[in-house]
Amino acid sequence: MIAAVAGDGLLSPANCTFGVTALAKQQMNTMPDPTAGVSDAALLVAFARGDAQAARDLTARLLPRVLAQATRMLTNQAEAEDVAQEAMIRLWKIAPDWQQGHAQVSTWLYRVVANLCTDRLRKRRGSVSLDQIAEPEDSTPNAATRIQTQTRLRALSDALAQLPERQAEAVALRHLEGLSNPEIAQIMDISVRSVESLTARGKRALVDILAGRKAELGYEDD
Amino acid sequence: MKMTDPKDDMLDDLFAEARALSPQPSDALVARVLADARPPERAITSVQTGIFTRLLDVIGGWPAAGGLVAATLAGVWIGVAPPASVEDFTATLLGDQVAVGFFDTDIAFDMETLADG
Repeated sequence: MIAAVAGDGLLSPANCTFGVTALAKQQMNTMPDPTAGVSDAALLVAFARGDAQAARDLTARLLPRVLAQATRMLTNQAEAEDVAQEAMIRLWKIAPDWQQGHAQVSTWLYRVVANLCTDRLRKRRGSVSLDQIAEPEDSTPNAATRIQTQTRLRALSDALAQLPERQAEAVALRHLEGLSNPEIAQIMDISVRSVESLTARGKRALVDILAGRKAELGYEDD
Repeated sequence: MKMTDPKDDMLDDLFAEARALSPQPSDALVARVLADARPPERAITSVQTGIFTRLLDVIGGWPAAGGLVAATLAGVWIGVAPPASVEDFTATLLGDQVAVGFFDTDIAFDMETLADG
């Protein structure tokens, strides 16, 4: 989808923070949370009973993480926002059927976002990649560094798009979200050994796909 | 597996750069998400239950209502065309069979007399 990767679809500095930020810190809401101690599932049940405040609390709590996961996989702001919105729509829809204690909301959301992203990545195959599109004008300081970072991340996302979907999901959950293999096994509903196999094969495939772009991405050959 | 290939180092760098992304939802996105967060239909319908639904709940729901309808139809049918066993049973219970006519038999007799002259 050409429109999605051009222009305002690019990650903009105003919306993304590049830097050394611990994953746990990213997932914390810096605003005071009056519902601290109330589980996501309890809030979801409250929403299903018509509590509008529960929807606001869930959005404040979950949307940042959902958006971050989608952004890391897609490296495209517009697409990531669409995926985040769609994931939240699915959360609202499943609310009346949610059974507390059966699964964690966060686990369910990881799976939904991963699936939505791999759907997007599959559609991206064969479409025009970023390096075939003129870079937007950026005259801010460190613009070259930022563009180089965006190019590298887009290359990674495009390489993920070349992987079989299960491999792409496992690699993204392991290496982009920093989840443990048992957590990924629970999210993908497979065994830990299967996760290990998928991530290993996926990572090897990524190395092969990106091998030819090493110099272009700013990595010198030895 | 230990990754010593420089190309793997590049991949690890890319992973680290991607993990460092921490986009904050824009106000517009939050508004879109909250606009989608309508109370589920099931919650609305459970509040707006009608009289018919409440009656159904009183008698035990659709299965009970189906049983009631079947029993009513069976009763009507037995009344219209009673099987022989039912007729025997009612005869035993209520006495001999009683014939009911719409016309007085005496009138028919008189008509025959008139016709014969």
